Amino acid sequence: MDHVKLVQVPIDITHIHQLLADEGCGASSVFVGTTRNNFQGKTVVSLAYEAYDNMAVKEMNKICSDLREKWPDLKHIVIYHRLGNVPVCEASVVIAASSPHRSEALESVSFAIDQLKTRVPIWKKEIYEGDNISEWKENKESFRPKKSLSAFNYAACPCKVEESHDVPRSLVQIRVNDAELTKRLECFVNKKRAEINSQNVIDFKSPLVDSDKDFSDSCARTQSTIIKQEQSNCHLKVRRVNNRCGPQQMELRPNYEFELNKLMGSRDGVTDPSKEIRKSLPNSRLQAIELYMGLTTDNEENIFSRIKKVENRMLQLESISPEYRHFTNLEPSSREPPLPKRIKKKSYSAHELSVFIQKIKDGREINE
Amino acid sequence: MSTEGPVVNVHVLFFAKSRELANTPRSKVDVPVEIIASDLLDQLVSRFGLTSIQNSLILAHNESYIENLSDKILLKEGDELAIIPPLSGG
Repeated sequence: MDHVKLVQVPIDITHIHQLLADEGCGASSVFVGTTRNNFQGKTVVSLAYEAYDNMAVKEMNKICSDLREKWPDLKHIVIYHRLGNVPVCEASVVIAASSPHRSEALESVSFAIDQLKTRVPIWKKEIYEGDNISEWKENKESFRPKKSLSAFNYAACPCKVEESHDVPRSLVQIRVNDAELTKRLECFVNKKRAEINSQNVIDFKSPLVDSDKDFSDSCARTQSTIIKQEQSNCHLKVRRVNNRCGPQQMELRPNYEFELNKLMGSRDGVTDPSKEIRKSLPNSRLQAIELYMGLTTDNEENIFSRIKKVENRMLQLESISPEYRHFTNLEPSSREPPLPKRIKKKSYSAHELSVFIQKIKDGREINE
Repeated sequence: MSTEGPVVNVHVLFFAKSRELANTPRSKVDVPVEIIASDLLDQLVSRFGLTSIQNSLILAHNESYIENLSDKILLKEGDELAIIPPLSGG
């Protein structure tokens, strides 16, 4: 039999035992929940219980039927809950069950108290000693609104839907106002954009950087050369893309810096050769000129000041010995005066002379 | 309470913390005949000043829990609604 009751007076345990008694039962289990005298360092004077009476009894009866379904051998079930003010150390709840064997009785009582804390609408308020404000307790097992529903307040987002576009609410997954929807779309687009960007970065990076990645399916845009495949019968003219300058082929291209350094005389191609040049240049040519000019200079000196010194030296030498410039002239032949040309004198015969004279005579006559 | 369409008058019961905040153990309100449970709860919450505990409340309709707040519920004249804060029996 089920005994379910909400009581305003102390619960009599011996009475509970009487309710459980049955000749065919070898076990009866009684759980007594009593009020504690402390909570987080505060002294509890008493507890005030209240219930949604009708519903509480309903729920307690439901627990009984659940127990009987789970443990059909149960004989008697007792669920008593005390309401009103309950002093500390007194029983606030008693759950008991009797059965032929102990396991059903023990297990069912344990299950029942968990269920009671979860779904029976009863509340308690702890009343503390001194000035501490009394508090409504909350069972951690308590039936609560589902998180997903409580997390968002749909009512705060009125969504005006035109009658003609009315959709059954059960089919609508997203119920938000325009601002929220716009925000979500924006977030989605931004996320996608970031994904594409990061993918592009991977595509366009040299594969040498992280060679563990497979680039065969990369959709990086490339400057590709199209070569017609030989012996292809396809009317679509299947062609193979010979990708010579795409980002994936970066490592196959000549390394211009390396080549340039090599040309400039760097042995390993890595080090910048300009330092060596700075040393080798004065060491070879400029040093030779300086030696010729009788100048003593320091190799570490600025190259321009050294050239300036050479120039000064040349000007000085020119001023004290003008013929010196012939020695320093790059094209001495062009500066020299041209050799006197040998003029070949024409010889005339007597006849030629007479003709010449006659011509002059005739000319004078015409002019006159 | 702003309502469209037919309305019915129902009882609303308050317990524990919600009773203290609403300052009454019970009240009567007009509500739409057909309403989504979460919308109904929101209306009651704003009407009775329960916003501080809104997210921990559940509803009971005629002494049965409304397990899913997105359910549509049908109300009749004189029905009993209850605002249920987290339980602390035992």
